[in-house]
This record gives sequence, C-alpha cells and structure tokens, in this order.
Amino acid sequence: MLPRQFLAFLVAGLPVAFAADTKGVDFTRDIRPILSDNCFACHGPDEGHRMAGIRLDTKEGAMAALTPGKPEASRVYLRMAHADPKRRMPPPSTGRTLTPHQIELVQKWIASGAEWKTHWAYDKPQRKEPPAPKNAKWARNAIDRFVLARLEQENLAPASEADRATLLRRLSLDLVGLPPTPAEIDAFVKDKSPNAYEKQVDRLLASPHYGEKMAMPWLDLARYADTHGFHIDSHRDMWPWRDWVIRAFNANMPFDRFTVDQLAGDLLPNATIDQKIASGFNRNHMINYEGGAIPDEYLVEYVADRAETTSTVWMAMTMGCARCHDHKYDPIKQKDYYRMFAFFNGVKEKGLDGRDGNADPFLRLPSGEQQKRLDELTARIKIREAELADEKIKPLQEAWEQERLRTLNFAPPANLREGLLAQYEMDGTVDDHSGNYRHGRVLRGEPSMVLTSVGKATLFSTPSQVSLGALDLGQDYSIAVWLVQGHHEPQTILHQTGRLEVWWDASDPLPHLRRGAHLHVEAPGMHLRTRDRLVQTEQYHVAILHSQAGGLSIRINGLAVPVVREDESSVKPGTPGELTIGQETDTETRNGFRGRMADLRLYRRVLSENELRYLSVDHRVSAMVSVAVKQRPKELTQRLREHYLAHVAPAPTQEAWTDLKQLRAQKAILDDAIPNTMVMSELDKPRDTFVLGRGDYRNHGEKVTPNVPAVLPPLPNNEKIDRLALARWLVDPNHPLTARVAVNRYWQNYFGIGLVKSSENFGTQGDPPSHPELLDWLATEFQRTNWDVKAMQRLIVTSATYRQSSKATPELVERDPENRLLARMSRFRLPAELVRDNALAVSGLLNAKVGGQSTYPYQPAGIWEEISRGEIFSAQVYKESTGADLYRRGMYWFWKRTAPPASLSTFDAPDREKCVARRSVTNTPLQALVLMNDPTYIEAARVLAQKTIHEAGADPARRIALAFRKVTGRQPDAKEAAILQTLVAKQMTRYTADTKAAAALLTVGEYPADKKIPAAELAAWTNVATVLLNMDEAITKE
Amino acid sequence: MNWKREMQLLETRRQFFGRGAKGLSVAALASLMGGKAEAATGGQPGIPHFAAKAKRVIWLHQSGGPSQLDLFDYKPQLKKFHGSELPGSIRMGQRITGMTSGQASFPCASSMFKFEQAGKAGMWMSELIPHHKKIADDICLVKSVHTDAINHDPAITFIQSGSQQPGRPSIGSWVSYGLGSETEELPAFVVLLSQQNSVNADQPLFSRLWGAGFLPSRYQGVRLRSGKDPVLYLADPAGIARDGRREMLDALQALNKIREDAYHDPEIDTRIQQYEMAYKMQASVPELTDLSKEPASTFELYGEDARKPGTYAANCLLARRLVERGVRFVQLYHKGWDQHNNLPRDLALQCKASDQGAAALVQDLKQRGMLDDTLVVWGGEFGRTVYCQGKLTETDYGRDHHPRNFCMWMAGGGVKRGFQMGETDDYSYNIVNDPVHIHDIQATLLHCLGVDHKRLTYKFQGRWFRLTDVHGNVVRPLLA
Repeated sequence: MLPRQFLAFLVAGLPVAFAADTKGVDFTRDIRPILSDNCFACHGPDEGHRMAGIRLDTKEGAMAALTPGKPEASRVYLRMAHADPKRRMPPPSTGRTLTPHQIELVQKWIASGAEWKTHWAYDKPQRKEPPAPKNAKWARNAIDRFVLARLEQENLAPASEADRATLLRRLSLDLVGLPPTPAEIDAFVKDKSPNAYEKQVDRLLASPHYGEKMAMPWLDLARYADTHGFHIDSHRDMWPWRDWVIRAFNANMPFDRFTVDQLAGDLLPNATIDQKIASGFNRNHMINYEGGAIPDEYLVEYVADRAETTSTVWMAMTMGCARCHDHKYDPIKQKDYYRMFAFFNGVKEKGLDGRDGNADPFLRLPSGEQQKRLDELTARIKIREAELADEKIKPLQEAWEQERLRTLNFAPPANLREGLLAQYEMDGTVDDHSGNYRHGRVLRGEPSMVLTSVGKATLFSTPSQVSLGALDLGQDYSIAVWLVQGHHEPQTILHQTGRLEVWWDASDPLPHLRRGAHLHVEAPGMHLRTRDRLVQTEQYHVAILHSQAGGLSIRINGLAVPVVREDESSVKPGTPGELTIGQETDTETRNGFRGRMADLRLYRRVLSENELRYLSVDHRVSAMVSVAVKQRPKELTQRLREHYLAHVAPAPTQEAWTDLKQLRAQKAILDDAIPNTMVMSELDKPRDTFVLGRGDYRNHGEKVTPNVPAVLPPLPNNEKIDRLALARWLVDPNHPLTARVAVNRYWQNYFGIGLVKSSENFGTQGDPPSHPELLDWLATEFQRTNWDVKAMQRLIVTSATYRQSSKATPELVERDPENRLLARMSRFRLPAELVRDNALAVSGLLNAKVGGQSTYPYQPAGIWEEISRGEIFSAQVYKESTGADLYRRGMYWFWKRTAPPASLSTFDAPDREKCVARRSVTNTPLQALVLMNDPTYIEAARVLAQKTIHEAGADPARRIALAFRKVTGRQPDAKEAAILQTLVAKQMTRYTADTKAAAALLTVGEYPADKKIPAAELAAWTNVATVLLNMDEAITKE
Repeated sequence: MNWKREMQLLETRRQFFGRGAKGLSVAALASLMGGKAEAATGGQPGIPHFAAKAKRVIWLHQSGGPSQLDLFDYKPQLKKFHGSELPGSIRMGQRITGMTSGQASFPCASSMFKFEQAGKAGMWMSELIPHHKKIADDICLVKSVHTDAINHDPAITFIQSGSQQPGRPSIGSWVSYGLGSETEELPAFVVLLSQQNSVNADQPLFSRLWGAGFLPSRYQGVRLRSGKDPVLYLADPAGIARDGRREMLDALQALNKIREDAYHDPEIDTRIQQYEMAYKMQASVPELTDLSKEPASTFELYGEDARKPGTYAANCLLARRLVERGVRFVQLYHKGWDQHNNLPRDLALQCKASDQGAAALVQDLKQRGMLDDTLVVWGGEFGRTVYCQGKLTETDYGRDHHPRNFCMWMAGGGVKRGFQMGETDDYSYNIVNDPVHIHDIQATLLHCLGVDHKRLTYKFQGRWFRLTDVHGNVVRPLLA
C-alpha cells in the first residue's frame, strides 16, 4: 500500500473539482469510469474478446468477481493491487495502468458494500425539485438553485454580477455572435427598469442573426461543407440546407420538429419543399468519385457516416465503435450497429457521384420566375425537337449522303498548293509534306501520334517547342491548322520574332465542367483575340489571314468569329526570326505548346473563302461521310447530323436547328442558375443490410433489418420501421438521451464546457455530469416546454449563474481551472468565425446579409492550388470575392474540406470531414500572426481607425476612448489610455518621417482609405486599432 | 476520474511549440511524474517509453504510387512473360481498381529499364535512380510493404493516419503530440509540398494528411510554403517596420498584462507568450528558408534545382535545415507518381526530379553526423501492377495501383544500413517472404523514436485511439 501521506498529497493537490474524497465513493462518478477505462476492453460487453469469462460491465458479472464489504477477498481488487507486475491488472500489454489513488478508490468502494448502479445515461432523466440553497435570494431561476447548492457544498460563493457593458457584450456574442454597438450599450446602461436585462435578451432572440449563431455549431455537427471532400474535392451546393437551418432557428422551430424534418423530412406525408431540404442533413457527408474507386465500398461509407453522425448528434453515442465488433465499453452489439445502419441504407444514391456538383438524389429549387421560364423553354425545345425528329431528318440526310458519296471528290480546290510554303500533316512527326523539305526540329518535348476526328494528329503532351526554320511568310499570308488546346495554362502556339505571336491565354471554367481560353493573334501594331472562349480539348480549325490591305483576321472552323481588338501588341516590326511552335522555357506568362495539331499549312498568300471551306469543312465532311454508317462512332454520327442540319438541310429545317441550339443554350444557362440541394429520398425497395465482418464492405454476415439498440427503449409496435419511426423515437419523451444531449450542448455554447464535458459521448467512457440533477432538470424542462429552443436559451442566459462576472481569484483558478463548479462565468476565446465577424463588425465593414451562397474572403494565393487537382474540376482555384461579399460572416466562407479557410483553421475550426461536437480551443503563435498580418484584420483596423477619427474628432483621448469602446464595449482605464496615447505618438513620429510606409500600409484591403485624413495620421491610428483588435479581451467572451 | 490525464491536458494546453506551462500546479504535476520537469519539451509524460535511436523524422512521401517494378524490385524473369497474360494462379482473384477491372486482358509488362546492383548488399536499382546507388549502403530497403487500400484517397489517408477513412490524426501530429518539440521558434511538425514537375497533374492532396484529427488542433502540421510568407501571414504588412511592430507589441503586451492582473486567466499569459513567439518566428523562419548562405557544395550535392524554391530538391534541402533547427517531424510530398499510362516517359521525368534530392538529403545528413539520430522514410501509398494498363507496345506501357506489395526505404536513426528485406514472386504481384504492413511501418517508425505504438494513445469518443489502430508490429529484423 502507498504511504498515506502521499495519497493525501494526491488528493489535496488535485485542481479538478471532482476528485472524490475517499470517504464518500460514488459509483457513477468514481468507480465506473475506472472499470470502463481500464477493464471493459477485455472484461466488458464484447463477447468475442472477453477474457477469463469475467465481465465487469454488469452487476451480475462484477459481483461474481468480488465480495461486497471484503476487498481482500475480492479478485477484482486483489488483481489490481497485486505486487507482481506480471499478475497485476490491467496487464502491461494494454498500455493502461491504475494509479494508487484509483486502486484506493476501488478498495474503499468494495469495503463500503460495492453499491452498483446502471449507467446513468440510459435511465430516463428524473426531474427533482431544485434544491433550496442557503443564499436563496441570489437565485434567479431553477438553474441557480442547483448551481448554488453545489457551490455551498464546496464552501464557495458565486461571483458578483458582471457590469452591464460586459454583460451585454457577452449576451450579444452568445445570442447573435456579434458585439453590441456603443449605442446599444448606452441604452442598456441607462435602462433602469427591473427587466432591462430581459428586454435585451428578447431583442437579441428576435434578431435574424440569432439563427446564424445557433446554426454555427450545428454546421460542425452536420459536417456541412461546400465540397465533396474525397480526392478531387470539387464543389457541391448545400447552402439551401444551411439557409433552412438558420430559418428554422429564427422561427423557433421546436427541437422535435427540427429533428424529424432533418432525419426524415422526405418521408413525412405530403412533405413540403422545406421538409425535403431539411432532410439534406444526412447528405452532408463526404462523397467520392475518384477514378477507379469501388462503388460498393463508398456506399457503405456514406451509410456508416449517417448512422454514426445521427447517433453522436442526438444520443452522444459512439456507435462507430461497434462497426467492427461489439462495443468494448457500452452495451452496443455489432448487430445493433448494422440495425442502425439499415435505417439509412435505402437512399437513391450511387457509390461514386458528385463530379458535376451535387450527387443524386438532389432537389432543384427554381424561383417562381425561373420555373416559368424553364417551362417555357422546355415547351419550345420540345416543339423544335419534334420538328427535327430522327425519323423526319434521317431520309433527307441519307439522300444527301448518297449524293455526296456519288460526287465525292477528295480533290482539293484547283490551286490549293499555290503559295504553299510548308505543310505539316502532323502524323506524330513534324515533317513537311509540301515537297519543300522544311521539316520541323523538335527542340523540346516528345511529340507522338494520336487519332482525332480529322484523322492523324501530333500530340504534344509536355510543354514543347518545335523549330520550323526561318520561314518568310511575306506580307500576305495564311496559316491554317487543326488545333486542340491541351492544358489550362497560357501557352504559345506559334511564335516568330518581328512577325507574329499566336497564343492561348489561361483557360477558365465554362459551364458543364468544361474550360476554355481565348485565342490571341498578334502582329506588328495589331492584337486580336476571340471574344468567346474556345473549349479546351475540343478540336477547332483555326485560320489566320494577313494581308497588307485588309490587315489581320481570324477564322474558326472556316467562319469569321467575333473578335476583340486589344490595345497593345507585343510584336515589334523587324526582321522575321525563326518560326516556332511553342517556346523554349516556361515563363510566368506563357508556356511551351501543349495539345494537338493536325494539318498545319503555311501559305504566302491569303486563302479564299472556298479554300478555307475546303480545309475546315469539306475535307472533314468528306472524311466523315465516307465512313460506313454502321462503323460510325456515336460522336461522328452526331457531328454529321449537326453538319447536315446546319449547312445542308432545307432552309426552314436549318432555321429550326439554329433556334433549337439557341434554346438549348438558354436552358443550359438557366439550369446552371437554378440552385439545387441534396436531399434524402428512398429507393422503392431498400438495399439489404448485412452485418459486415470487421466492417469490411466485402464481408457479408447475417442479414439484419432496421432497429434501435436493445439497451434503449424499443420502437413502438404499430409503426412502420423506417427513418421516420427512428426520428420520432428519438424525440419520444421516454428517450433517455436526446433531451439531455441537446441541452448539454446548449450549455457548452455558453459556458465553454458542457455539464457533461464529453458532449459527444454519454457512454461509460464519457465524463460523468458535473451537475447530474441540473442536467436532468434541464432535459425534462426542455421536454415539458415542448422542446422550445428559444425558451431554453432564455432560461440559461437569464440565470444568475450566467450573469456572473468572469473575474477570478488565483486561488479559484487553481482550484477549478475549467470552471466546472461555476463560481464565476467562464471566460474563453471566441470561436474562429466570431473572431473574424467581431473585427468586421466593430470596424463597420460587416455585410450583415443572412443566408445565401458561400463567398470567398481574402486568402493568401495558392492555398487551394498547391494541393488541388486543377484542370476542369470545380473548386480547385480560389477566386477571391470582391466588394460586399468580402465582408460576409465567417460561417458563409466557402468550406473546401481538403483546404478549409486557412485563418479559421488556425483558430480551431474543423475541416468538416466528420461530425464534430466540440472544438478544441488553442492559443498559438500562428493565431497571433493571423491577427497581426492577415489583410482582413489590417483592413478592419484601418476602417475602424478612419471611422473613429470621423466620429471622435481631433482629440486623441476621445479617439482612443471611442475605438477602445467599439472593440471591447467598455471605456479604457487611465493606464490603458496612457499606453495607447504613447503608442499613437510614437507611431505618428514614425509615419511622419516615412510617408511612403504610411501610404503602403493604407493600400491593404479593398475598402478605400479616407483621403481626407493625412496618410501618416491614418497609418498611426490604423496600428493603434490593430493593437486593440489583437487584445486578448477583443477575441474573448468575458 | 481520469484526473492524471486531465492534468496532462491542462498542462499541454499551455503550450504550442513546447513552451513550458506557467502557474497551475505544474510543480506538483512534475513531481508526480517523477520529479522531472517534462514540460520543457511539451510531449506526453513518460514518453519516450524507452531510449530513442531517432530524435526526428523526415518522411518523403511519393504521392501517386511509384512503380516498384521499374525502380527497386528487379524481375529479370519477367522479360519472358512480357505481353503474356498474368496467370490466374498469380492474380488469385484479388480485387483491382475500377480503372482496369473492365480490361479484357491483363498482359504482363516487364520493365524497360536497365538494373544494376549497388552497395555491399547488392541492392538492385534501375537506371532511373542513379543517385540512389550512392546511398545503397545507408538505406534499409523493404521490398514487401503492403497496404489495404487500392485507390489514392484511402491509401494516402491510410499510410499517413493509420485509417483509410478520414478523421484520425496524421502520423506527424501523433509524433508531435507524443514527443513535443525541440525548438521554441519553429513548429514541431512542418509540411512541405513540392511543385509539380511532371506531366501527371492529377494528384490532389488533402489537409487531413497533416491534420490533427481528433487531437487538439495545435498538433496539426504547419505548411511551409515557398514565397514571401513561408508560414501563412508571417510577413508584416507593407508599411510596418520591425521596430514599429515591436512598439505595437509592447503596447499590446502591456494592455494584456493589465487584463491578466484583473482576471487571473492563465490564457492571457499564454497569449502574451505566443505573441512573443510569433515575433521570434518572423525572424527565424525567413532565416530558415533563406538558402543564400548555403555553400556551392550544397547545390552540387542537391543539384541546381535546389536553388528554385518549391522544387523537390529545394524541399529536401529545407528538410535538412528544419531538422537542424530542432523540428521534430518533416512531412514532404512529391506529387506525380501515378503512371497509369506513358510510364516509361513520365516515370523517367519524375525520377529525374526527385532522385538526386532524396539521395543528397541522406548524404548530407550523414556528413553532418545527423543521420544517426534522424530517420528518413521514402515511399508512396502503394505500388503498381505488373499487368499493363491500356495498350502494351514495344516502347510504352502503363500500370494500375497495386496494394499487395511495394517498396519503401528508411535511413538513419534506428534502422540497419545497407540492408534489404522482403521478397516478392516473379511477377512482383504477391509477397513471398517477410510481409510488412503499413501499420508495421508506423509501429517501427515510432519504435525508432523510443515510442511504443501501443502506448501512444489519445482518448476520443470514449476510446483510446492509437496510430496503428489495433494492429502493427515492430519490424525487428530491420532495426539496427
């Protein structure tokens, strides 16, 4: 046994509030956690791994291994206290050891009779009358009576009430996530009515920002994000669901409805659009479409995520631990896991999906206007499609094809070889076939042959350069080539010093997962580019014509296309140098050529329309027609049909075709503009669910049907067993967990730590509640008020407990560092989004718009691009917003799972890959760097400074007082003001001496600097504002 | 009540880069833990569990899956089978990816490249990696690594976090959680992403690969980027000079101190310290990334590429500079090893960009005497198939993902030098001898760091999680 002295030291030195004195051992608080954490893994619910037939998670099992009242005759105790380390439990291989203190507790527990209780969380909450503390008049509501009674037990007194400025700032940050304005604080301070505080509570609960604040932790739980998460991680649209959550909180939707709509809104009779949107809760999980991934594997992952997330969010149950085997600690069988899984295994979804935005099933949400337009377009398209039906066109086209074949003439226009300087057929080589032997020389890259719809072409798969020699094109020339742009980066197609520059600019996304770039042609004094983007990877016939008389023109597929005349040409007239394809090295503005080329022709004359038509159309059509119908690939058939409709068919048919193309284009644009959101929707026949051996999708075991874990109350008999039944069961008054779990998380939002600290786990491995009776009282109160969410928030924030000051003595901090006893209000750093929102709000930059699509605030370049796949997929390139969208709240920041908003991550925002019930709160140097250097905060500081200067006038003391007040809600004291006075004087001296530096600082951020304020002065005050925004108090809820 | 753990968490909550805790019964705690003020390094008490051979790790992850068949796993017999169908007796119905599962045939493709033996152990290496031959006597080559996953996302997630599905802490964050840091001026866990220099651009990475999972987020890797801000938001904005910044900081600290005196919240004191550390980082990080003082010999060793920030070679050099300064775990990524087609051309490009840098790093650490206590790990998330993906021609072939065996090497602290283990069949399709699972690699790496992988745990959702899940064995034969 240990020396008594040492034990006494252990207990006395314990800063955590729940150290048991060994006199009164409490089974739930002291003993079950020891048994669970150290013994259950081998002596618990998992039958497959139970050692020596001993189980300690049930009363029968435990009593068989001990003798109440006699620790020295109890196997459990003897093995724990065994002198021989090899015989001592738990064995070293488990990596777990018991402290002497823990062994002592077990000994005392057995000695005092080994009282056993079932795990508290699985028993229905018991509503006890709130206790009557001695200092009854301190208590404002029932919460306070529970809290104070406990404090009195501990010989602690509550803190005094916080001053009004602090109180209103706290309340505003808690209920709407935004700080109060000085005017709001003034109004509150002046309000002498007895219910002044309650009036503020009601005002804030009625604010549209209340819904936003309540939604924020819900987004973590629901693993909300704007991208799919796996592999390529392209975008999705779930913001209509996010909007629904905000609306639901603002409308004070009762928590039971909130639950049913999100878990099974789609299954409700006559489900409304809103209820269907709500069901998207369980579509927020990650979705995969990695090439080569196996659909069955991911179908299982999606369903597992739903089952586990639902269990965590509503029951704080660690269901995931039973995926591979029976739960090691809680009474959950592996079969229970797959029964829960079965509820979610009937969704009309695919294993691999999401390439092009949302994955099936999703719901389109057109506005009234959009729907009208959509109906109209659809009807008109239908009519045109009927006119152009295959059975009508086919005979006509066949007749034309026959005619064409009969008269087929591959012979080119008579003089096509005239003026031909060089002709590169591009059959994988760069040889000249004109007979002039002007073969190209590959200087860079490795060209290879590839087949395209115009026959052979040369593929340049890496940035390439080919020299075609010092060809003199003369003043009148033509260049004709079949061209495919092979990469999204800007690249040189042709280059000749003194003469010509032909290039693609960087391609940008086009609708429907395509990209495209402009084609630029520069000659001395002339720079044209195509008005529209040409689609990357598509094959175009490009002709560049230059004549002394007519200047420069571009033809695409034989036709003139709209062009834009750029102001400057980089080509200076001079002696023509070597003509090259591509360029030697890759620069920041231009790379070597990548893509495909076929039939590159260089002429020393301007080609005629007829010749261009031959090169770009006839040549191709002839090639197409000569392929036998049966051998034609689908693409060819379609191209031929399009050619026929566009160029050959009778005039009315051609018109119909032109119209149809336009209608389809309009509809495509409209379709892209109509938001959609993923929802739940059941297959007619749900998939079979099996127990999966070791959780592996290939390993089917016993077939199971949906049901709830046996340790919890059963489902009602008379209902259909589906998700709707599950949702209703969760909010049944007999359910022991749902209400407790919900109110505990509310508590966590206000006090930083829940009454049950492990808010994600109410199982035996979780933390026991600090105030079990209060937790139960709140849970039953929540049910009693018909799950009134606002009433519950009101109850908590109007308690005297909440209204305490957060000032503490060093002794109290030492004794209760996490403030579990609540002898003060908790003081902790704001969540990531609010750190930013707060800076935007106090500076006046905040765009308070509620809801809508996600936006792209300032973020250093490259954070996405360095890790993303690039090319054609969405959400690979970060395009910063401009204007008001820069200043929307942090919760609307576009959340890319594989690269979440950088500055929010630094402040502990999760990546949203999985459900998160509790964020860590760290305190790091990287956070200091964000607040000091992120343009968001520099700009906010400047705008705060310039507004303050305007409002406060010339007196530095008044400026300091006002800015300080905006940031903290209170007046600075004399010492604080003096520090800032000194700082501003020093900074003024600096910037007066270095106005360049001042001007540089003022350029940070898009919001214009106030030119009326001298630059040195504004810069100095900007830095004062930066100091204010960096104060611990500024990012802390006090 | 798990009070001991609670106290440890409280304590580590006070620091980020290994700064000692202040206040809060630390003295009491330290004496409980055996009297040693462990807090100085910020790791977990009791860790290392035993004497460490390696103090730090540089993990060179070759993202995409390098072809073992064309680099290390020499199969001369395969020439005979070139173009013939992979026998069913070899494939044994193993699952293959959705990219080749529809292929009508699975013709074997022998490597086009010449192999030579290098070093005392006679390691076979292909002509694509000439610089590796110089370190043959320094590395420990494992030719029989295998993994459970068959596609990139789950496979990279698996090798870096021990689980195919997201949510677990990365290996670097486990190590910095367990062992803390040896430097106060740099993060314990640094991530380097190398620029793409091959044609194969389809290898995305994910921040979860260096994420902290359920560990407190301060253990996540810090990306060190090329350019003006090697660490995000490191540089002061234009118009703020160093001494001007100092003035601001002094005012800030004075204001925070006033608050601390009134509220006695230890977080305020921590914040004051963190601002000082940030200020120091603003000097130490640029010094770290400034290669201008490296002698010419450095660039002879690493190659001229190392002068270009963001290249693999430059990152290898940076990795050396990082560990010199006490960084615990450097995770380096090199994308572009996914040769489904055009393998001969693309793999050659990929090797050209990486062979010298990796070899130079080992040689450089060795000449500085640091290889003894630094562990370098090289490898991808899986290997590649012997059968050809796409059309097999005289000069061209592609290979699909192959999880059943691939090659990795380690060098330095704790592992044998000039040693190879593991053997595959004639097709490099199945392991014949000494299989080494990803969890075994992870267990072995931790072992070299003096950590018992079964005892480096963190409780989340009621379960004591570890990097190796419930698996993993230390690979004793390769330990020095």
